[in-house]
Amino acid sequence: MSQNTQLMSEEQLDFIREMMNIGAGNAVTALQQLLQCPVDLIIPKVHVLPTVKLSSVLDNPASLVACVRMGMVGDIGGAMFFIVPEESRKKLVSIAEEALLGLNKLPWQKSEEVGLSVVVEIGNILSGVYLTAIHDFCGLNIYHTVPVLAIDMIQPLLDEALIKTSIQIQTAVLIENELVIEEHHIRTLLLIVPSAESVKPMIDALGQAKKAYGSA
Amino acid sequence: MVQHKITIKMGEGAVNSAPQIISSQGIGSCVVVTIYDPRRKMGGMAHIMLPDSNGLNGQHPPYHYADTAIITLLGKLYSRGALLQDIVAKMIGGAQMFICSDDSGPGIGKQNVSSVRRILGRELITLSGEEVGGSYGRNVEFYLDSGKVIVKTAGKKEDVEL
Repeated sequence: MSQNTQLMSEEQLDFIREMMNIGAGNAVTALQQLLQCPVDLIIPKVHVLPTVKLSSVLDNPASLVACVRMGMVGDIGGAMFFIVPEESRKKLVSIAEEALLGLNKLPWQKSEEVGLSVVVEIGNILSGVYLTAIHDFCGLNIYHTVPVLAIDMIQPLLDEALIKTSIQIQTAVLIENELVIEEHHIRTLLLIVPSAESVKPMIDALGQAKKAYGSA
Repeated sequence: MVQHKITIKMGEGAVNSAPQIISSQGIGSCVVVTIYDPRRKMGGMAHIMLPDSNGLNGQHPPYHYADTAIITLLGKLYSRGALLQDIVAKMIGGAQMFICSDDSGPGIGKQNVSSVRRILGRELITLSGEEVGGSYGRNVEFYLDSGKVIVKTAGKKEDVEL
């Protein structure tokens, strides 16, 4: 994948990681408000990698996940995926049930539905804070479209996005978030896959931002 | 001979003979094509990603595209002694995983399915079974002793035998 290393320098990769770390800090407040309990966010691991390598990062293509897909529009096009593994989803749903059902007393609504809507909402919050961080650093305006939830095996959920980018070498950003809520560790992934046309504007904006901020 | 299971990933293909099993996991908008010669008990599978290699010059992985994947599988089977008049094909996949109201035009899954159908027709191969469309992922096992194909989902529906 030598093309990829040419596409982005190690410095630029570091800069992206730094940007995402700052984004994560902003997520905590929003999550605490939503879940009505203290939330800790462990410093996220940020991978910047070519899309062709993604399938090897997903250790088991058939593992069950909840996945929220959002389109990206604006200065950068493409798609974002918020992914919660099955085990984490169950924990998250039970925390959400306690927080929301206790608060709103909605006995008529299926608690599972409430829990899943919380998964969508957390996806919304996390993608929102990262997009804001990108905006603040790079001056890029990126909006996401209405999130759509699906629960299935991970590879089918992602394959369309991977296929579209498989023709050219292309970069994706994978952010591993770990939330700590009431002693439960909840692992989530946020995958950002810019479209082919968006790679150049993204790299240009990163270059500009790096000059403005100096070495991050 | 001991029965072995060969697993292929997205964009890969394999050809083998009885009693082997060829499998692939996590099929979404991709299409898996199985081609089988029941007389010689041999067959091949490809996990195809895109409908057409049109406009791509030079080298590209053959199993990525429906047209080149099917031709490659057929070539390998013919060279092992398979005969056109005995060959049957099956296809699995072509789902649309996220259903959004703002989607315009047919998704990549539908395009893959119609492309595979067209190419099999052009190559005079009988399509003897299919499990396509919907909005769920699939796993596939292809038994080369019988030509049987088992399609499983992540609890979305009952297993299907083709």
